[in-house]
Amino acid sequence: MIPTDPADRDALAAEYVLGTLDAAAAREVTQAMDADADLRGLVAAWEARLAPLSALAAPEAPPPGLWDRIEAALDGTRPVAAAPARRSAFWRNWALGASAVAAGLAAFLLLRPVPEPRLMTVLLTQGDQPAWLVEAEGGALRLASLNPQPVPDDRVMQLWALPQGATAPTSLGLIPAQQGSLTVTPSTIRPEPGMLMEITLEPPGGSPTGRPTGPILFIGRLAPARGT
Amino acid sequence: MDAGASLADLLTAAAAGDRAALRAVYQAQSVRLFGIANAILRDRDLSSDAMQDAFIRIAQRAHQFDASRGTPEAWLGAIVRHAALDIIRARGREIATDDPNLGDEPVAPEAEDRLAATAEGRRLRECLQGLEARNRDGIVLAFVHGLSHPQIAERLGTPLGTVKSWIRRGLLALKECLA
Repeated sequence: MIPTDPADRDALAAEYVLGTLDAAAAREVTQAMDADADLRGLVAAWEARLAPLSALAAPEAPPPGLWDRIEAALDGTRPVAAAPARRSAFWRNWALGASAVAAGLAAFLLLRPVPEPRLMTVLLTQGDQPAWLVEAEGGALRLASLNPQPVPDDRVMQLWALPQGATAPTSLGLIPAQQGSLTVTPSTIRPEPGMLMEITLEPPGGSPTGRPTGPILFIGRLAPARGT
Repeated sequence: MDAGASLADLLTAAAAGDRAALRAVYQAQSVRLFGIANAILRDRDLSSDAMQDAFIRIAQRAHQFDASRGTPEAWLGAIVRHAALDIIRARGREIATDDPNLGDEPVAPEAEDRLAATAEGRRLRECLQGLEARNRDGIVLAFVHGLSHPQIAERLGTPLGTVKSWIRRGLLALKECLA
């Protein structure tokens, strides 16, 4: 029964194109399309939407004699039906072709989103000594101290980011004293390759100007981690 | 027909009964189309049957091809897919889906390249990536490999009713994303 509700009709057209209807329902849609121009249009729209997925099927050369066979069938000189012995061959090929099947079905895995390369850097001291490991994950930055250094009592460490092309660094907040690791999630910038990260020494409460005022203690540039 | 004739021109000629044009369509598209059938049937004999059925339909319906509704490639691909689906349905979709090797093979990167080769493919891929993984997998398994709802449920280890509603929701979300 072809539904009358527009949403149901569209859903039926979609499943027809997707191929998930059973034999009886698919036949019903095929037959209804002859007289139902609206249904024909819905099906055509779904075919157009999903057609690019066909590209996931691995191209394969047909047997050399296939065109001759098709032409003979078109001329009605040979029966169109398949040879009766096919069924056993079907199953035999199934047993033998497991790896080919696996390769074919693996196509669907492709559509999982490609993980973004992990960005990281090591912030170095002015003497090029590693001080902080910075890793970006999603929009967050994880910092781990590699070589904790005391900070003067009347000073704090402030973290900054300078995306490529930006003219002024953005404050990502203060780094709590004595803390070996922390995660910050910047709200206005997103970690990106080439972004400069630095930690400066600032008065209590952080830079009063919104820009670094003290010396740069540690600096590094985010880059995609190798081997991930 | 000359070699430079477009697929749409060839279909127009084939609609008028030009056998050479139909043959040119076959020559230009058979490797791709056979691959579409074989992704569903995974059997070269059955895929040949599907191609034969499909080209008989193509010869009969070439006049129905409407360039305003899609590309000739998509139109041809749909006919071959439905021919293959008819064969698999007639066999009760006997294809086993619990093979432990399924999906364990390394992913062929060229498949993604083929999808990304067209603007429509890239757009569809982006929209698919916006779906939950299970919705996306269900849609691809059905469209590319001809799996039925019960087979998808088995593959994904999910109750049948859930799979049906996921797929319906996934298709709706795709439609909105592509609109």
